[in-house]
Amino acid sequence: MNKKLMTIITLIVTAAALWAGGKQEVTELSFFSGRVETVEWTENIIAEFQALHPEIAVEHEYQNDASNVMKIKLASGEVPDLTTVVTQDFIDQGIFMDLSSQPFWNRILPSVKDLCTDLKSGRQFKVATNVTMGGLFYNKEMFSSLGLKDARTWDEFVANLEAIKAAYPEVDPLFLAGKDSWTLGHLIEFWVHGIIKQELGIPGSRQAFLDNDLGNLAFDVPGGLMESFASALLELQEKGLINADAVTATYDNQKEAFASGKAAVINQGMWVVGDIIKLNPAMTTNIGFGPFPPVMDGYKPMVLTAEDSVLAVSAETADWEAVLTFLEFLFSPEVQKEYCELRGMPSAFKDVQADWSPISGDVSRAVETYVNINFSTEAPSDLSVDDAGRLIQELLTGMYDSPYDFAKAYAAIWNAAY
Amino acid sequence: MHINTANWHKYMALPAFLLFSLFFLFPLFRGLQLSFTAWDGFSTPEFIGLRNFIQFFSDKRALGDMKTTLLFALGSAPLLNLCGLSLALLLNSGFRGRHLVRSLVYLPAVISPMIMGSVWYLLLQPQRGIFYLWLERVSVEPGNWMLHHGSALILIILVNVWQYAGMTMIIYLAGLQAIPEEQYEAAALEGSGRWKVFRYITLPWLFPSIRINVITNIIGSLSVFEIILALTDGGPGYATESLSIYIMRMCYGNKTGYSTAVAIILFFIIMVPVLITLRGLNRMGESYE
Repeated sequence: MNKKLMTIITLIVTAAALWAGGKQEVTELSFFSGRVETVEWTENIIAEFQALHPEIAVEHEYQNDASNVMKIKLASGEVPDLTTVVTQDFIDQGIFMDLSSQPFWNRILPSVKDLCTDLKSGRQFKVATNVTMGGLFYNKEMFSSLGLKDARTWDEFVANLEAIKAAYPEVDPLFLAGKDSWTLGHLIEFWVHGIIKQELGIPGSRQAFLDNDLGNLAFDVPGGLMESFASALLELQEKGLINADAVTATYDNQKEAFASGKAAVINQGMWVVGDIIKLNPAMTTNIGFGPFPPVMDGYKPMVLTAEDSVLAVSAETADWEAVLTFLEFLFSPEVQKEYCELRGMPSAFKDVQADWSPISGDVSRAVETYVNINFSTEAPSDLSVDDAGRLIQELLTGMYDSPYDFAKAYAAIWNAAY
Repeated sequence: MHINTANWHKYMALPAFLLFSLFFLFPLFRGLQLSFTAWDGFSTPEFIGLRNFIQFFSDKRALGDMKTTLLFALGSAPLLNLCGLSLALLLNSGFRGRHLVRSLVYLPAVISPMIMGSVWYLLLQPQRGIFYLWLERVSVEPGNWMLHHGSALILIILVNVWQYAGMTMIIYLAGLQAIPEEQYEAAALEGSGRWKVFRYITLPWLFPSIRINVITNIIGSLSVFEIILALTDGGPGYATESLSIYIMRMCYGNKTGYSTAVAIILFFIIMVPVLITLRGLNRMGESYE
């Protein structure tokens, strides 16, 4: 009986040892993302990668509130190997690996590389695979029926909206989604900061934001940029050229209104196009793309052209070779083509040709015609686009005695954020 | 062998105490420590003494949020108790279908306040909500009730009371059902009116329920978070932002050290009225005895 038992135990132990010895050593990589639009695609692409590289297991984690979750991860020492959550603060803390010497930069547009360059060190700690655009999306049929064109001045913009209001009384000329305050915050980021970027150039404006040195474009200059913006927005409100519920309408309301033809113009980025077409496929041929209007005289219309789909690698990653293998797969032209067409954005890679959007023609035209501006990545991180948007909610609900009071309030929170 | 089991209860409590320490005591003391630092949430905390606490009292937004929180609590807590008690008195009587009605009244309390707030936003949203459209149909111009601090706050209070009146009701109902029938029978024999019965029999017996409900509603109202986030997101601007929401935004806005200081201040803002109320209620309770 004892001999039998010993034999069984020996067999079990031997089998376990053989199984463990035969099992291939697998490198685990953590990939943390905040991009809701690409969760499914990412899972599929990881499965494809792992079929090719069974020795590397990529653990993908998506979180809705990614930027906050990332802070918790950093505080607890769990820096993911690869992440889409990249901020200037994290770069300053040395969280990410210096990617400057990587060979994939040779395939990336120089302008995108510039946007990925950290101003303080001159190095690249992040890489962007796409370019996104932002501007005014308009209903082509309405514009064409009224013979309207891209507005090159503020007065032309107001005239366009007034023409729409006169011809289509049931349509909101410009639809704002104030409940989602980031959409209002974008008005400041694009219409106001855009003037600064136009005046100082992209590198100059990035430095000016870093140093908080805006000269005569400072926000609390009387009769200056921010006061002009506030006056402009109030003018639109007084003339009934924005939706009556601008402060309480949501981003979903905005998309629905535009898709159903109840809103003529919206201020958004390329990320909205896919959702609009899903809501109403007929809009595929009816979405026009134009520039942001200049809120001050003497400036030109602008289009946002910014890096998108950013990735960074942890400075403490345990297996850089495995990360590099995954990035090489991810950055391959075939995978990037698929990604561009999913995101509806052009690639940052020179060798990727994709049919990225039904409105690519209009967008490319606008990018080539008008002044290109970027996201205000060097703006103080303590002042979020949501905070800026909430100030505009206050402006539209009459909480300021004058546009200049609004300008002073914005300047106060901007300066306090440094 | 004789095993001494006299002290086993101490060891039985050890796992619970360890969990309590891990999820309550440790975060509490660590938070207290961080409240004296300038910390952005991921770099090394820097000790700055009482600066965070001093900053709170010169921060207009924070003081505004404190006022909003107090106004909300002053509206919500008494209303919750009044509605809960009224519902309990109503549903304590024997009518057909009362069990179903009780369940329906209690149901909103089990739903997440974020979901509840989102649903009510769909109903109340200016220009687009179902209630808004109904009022327009009967030619009533409701205005944009979410645009103004006063009306927005009243709305939030009403939605909060609608959600949690059921929970308050259940506690009062339990208290009502514990009152011996003989008390009411004796009062009936003496010919006492309804108000006297309520004042001298129902209320004293209900006192433990009153104490629980008043205290929990004060705590819940002063720490209000989800319902405001879902309904107004603290807007317009910061008009309906509560201190809890402010703490969250500071915490995730690179001011984690400051946010823990505000959390400690909120703790005292809650504790002071709770202790005062508890003392007052205990005195009242003694007089009933």
